[in-house]
Amino acid sequence: MTPAEIPLTPPSTAAVALPVENGVTRSDVEQVERALIDASTRVPVLIFYTSAIVWLLLATLLTLLASLKLHMPDLLGGVAFLTWGRLRPAQMDVMLYGWASMVGIGTAIWLMARLSRTTLRHPLLLVAGAGFWNLGVLVGVIGILAGRSTGYEWLEFPPFAALILFVAYSLVVSWAVLMFRFRRSESIYITQWYLLGAFLWFPWMYGAAQIMLFVVPVQGVMQAAVNWWFANNFLYLWLGSIGLGTAYYTIPKVIGRPVYSYHLAAIGFWTYALFASWTGMQRVVDGPFPAWMITASIAAAILAIIPVATVGLNHHMTMRGNFPLMRYSPALRFTVFGAIAYTVFSLVGVLISLRSVARVVHFTEAGMAYTQLGVYAFFTMVMFGAMYYIVPRLVGREWRYASLIKLHFWASTYGIGLMVLMLFAGGMVQGFDLNDPALPFSETTQTILAYLRGQTLASLLLAVAHFVFAAHFGMMLFGLGRTASMPTFLNPQADDVGAHV
Amino acid sequence: MKGLLPLILGIFGTFAFSWAGLTLIPNAQIGHLDPQTDEEGLDAYPAPKSGLAVRGQQVYAANGCVYCHSQQVRADYAGSDIERKWGERRSAPRDYLFERPVLLGKSRLGPDLANIGKRSAVEEPEAAAAPAAAQPAPAGAGASAQPTANASAPATDVRPEGGPAPAPGAPPAASPAPVAAVAAAAPNTAAPVTTVNGEPALYSTAWHHRHLYDPRSFVKHSNMPAYRFLYEKRRIGGEPSADALQLTGDDAPLEGWEIVPTYEAKSLVAYLMSLDQSHPLKEVKNTTVAAPAASPAAAPPTEGAAK
Repeated sequence: MTPAEIPLTPPSTAAVALPVENGVTRSDVEQVERALIDASTRVPVLIFYTSAIVWLLLATLLTLLASLKLHMPDLLGGVAFLTWGRLRPAQMDVMLYGWASMVGIGTAIWLMARLSRTTLRHPLLLVAGAGFWNLGVLVGVIGILAGRSTGYEWLEFPPFAALILFVAYSLVVSWAVLMFRFRRSESIYITQWYLLGAFLWFPWMYGAAQIMLFVVPVQGVMQAAVNWWFANNFLYLWLGSIGLGTAYYTIPKVIGRPVYSYHLAAIGFWTYALFASWTGMQRVVDGPFPAWMITASIAAAILAIIPVATVGLNHHMTMRGNFPLMRYSPALRFTVFGAIAYTVFSLVGVLISLRSVARVVHFTEAGMAYTQLGVYAFFTMVMFGAMYYIVPRLVGREWRYASLIKLHFWASTYGIGLMVLMLFAGGMVQGFDLNDPALPFSETTQTILAYLRGQTLASLLLAVAHFVFAAHFGMMLFGLGRTASMPTFLNPQADDVGAHV
Repeated sequence: MKGLLPLILGIFGTFAFSWAGLTLIPNAQIGHLDPQTDEEGLDAYPAPKSGLAVRGQQVYAANGCVYCHSQQVRADYAGSDIERKWGERRSAPRDYLFERPVLLGKSRLGPDLANIGKRSAVEEPEAAAAPAAAQPAPAGAGASAQPTANASAPATDVRPEGGPAPAPGAPPAASPAPVAAVAAAAPNTAAPVTTVNGEPALYSTAWHHRHLYDPRSFVKHSNMPAYRFLYEKRRIGGEPSADALQLTGDDAPLEGWEIVPTYEAKSLVAYLMSLDQSHPLKEVKNTTVAAPAASPAAAPPTEGAAK
């Protein structure tokens, strides 16, 4: 049976008909089916993953250099393309478009194929999509470093790079949506809602932002409004949706029991789509905008507690009684960390957008702490978890060393924890200093230098984590994984643990 | 969930709501503003930037100045922006009519620049007489000390180094009186005096060039990167260039060489000098009494009174 032979008829008939004919059980059929689906996604997903990891390493190095330069401003001072003001957007955009988007798309393709129970047809088109995406990011980063940045945050890529990304995206998304169209599963699983949402929202937000900023530019401060509307939606509805959708898959799958409540999940999804998409102006509290816009975004951020609470509760109830499994399963450990970080991220988002708090922390490093919580502590950690689950199924080998996974986890955890702590604490201090007009301005930057050094230490830890992970992934890619029927556990397994890990 | 159609419609509907609410409707409200004029249709504000300043805006964006410097002044109840003399009133949408890209910024690792061009205009006349009022900061950092900064510009980012020495003796809050005194003594000359004791006056064009070339020559512990790649080092052929940087100490080029700003550096400084939101706007209540824009001489007493 080749992938193309899996019929496009509803699954009930296919699954029931086969056992009668061949005398095999239904679970055998499903296992073969899963193997075929995995085989069909192998090449494109691994290409997306490999590219994402290469970008992650580049982003890590750029982050480290940018972080060093904040307290050692004369480091490589004469090199125009490595000036801090270019490194900073390059680092952020490589992280967002190179790493986060590519690993997100790779994971989403695999999840979509598995959940739609259909093989991926014409994977070469997806490979072409990955190629164009890589080209777009490369051109964009070179553009930024060469001094062609547009000056809009998270949209610094020169418009021609955005055009390449758009071509790549249309190649990718059409295939994901097509898979969904040919799904053989009876119901649509929660993860699919989130993925479908992400796939349809992204071209809208990116296209609208590009058009309203570069093609028919809006006037004055409206550019900033469009900019932040885009940036927060990129974080919440693009990365956030993929991250949440993935967590909704990984957690129940690893512990082997269904999601606690579908109703909660539905409430969580729709309130998320409604409220999270309105939070953009929380980044410009007290800025030169009509007050109602900012008030609306603050209200939306507060209301977004509803989806956060429902998602958190749902995951918690699904996990209940299974938390000890985190001792063994790397996928679960990363994913649960990310899911918890999501709650923290959202609550911090509410906190720093309240006007009374914003008057202190606005314009400080606390804003960066918030972004890092979302992009790294939540999204990236969930993606690491998904990769620990998915990659063995694609290469047919298990992860080689549990010790490397552990090192990756702890370096990532301490790294991001330290970074958020430093940026947030530093931001608070900076904010109180800024609001004390008796204090000369230069004092305010000097006080936070210590925290910025702490950030460099955190970046170093993250660099360790990423290089360890990349090496481990490379081993898997070159067939150096373990051939075993059991996955790699973080710790020797106790008897009472299920085999789903 | 059963049907696919409700899912798709919901996905589109929720996002259309946000798109309309945060971009389309506000765009109808504040996306088509005109410059403000007085009754006779004169004194239009804001005015479009010069070509050089527009180029400078691109240099500003390309080199990521926006990641450390905001360009927005919050109202007096929302922060100490006005007390820090970053502006006399809060910023309003109309201030940014001609900005593209608009560079509001969301970080203040460096000071706000919304009025940086205006601040030089205020300070330059004062600077002319600064030596008279500069007793508080005579020594300490030697060549890099900024007498004008300490005496006449409270709460700016420039602070004489030298720790316990005279600097603390003149806390910023104590300076309104000197400001007024200096202003009174300062002749409102048409030709701006740009140097004080051989140092460029605060936020003057020459000051910006030297600051971009070597930020730490003015603020010892500044963590701003130097933008030396915007300057060109070349051999003096014949006459020295008029716009060559007046550098001292370690920065000074070898004999027979000079440092001159490139076109990019000149346009960047032109852009900085163009940043000025001091013109009163009808929709914004001024927190300090507005100074008539045409007569800078009237400004200093107002500043004093505001304290």
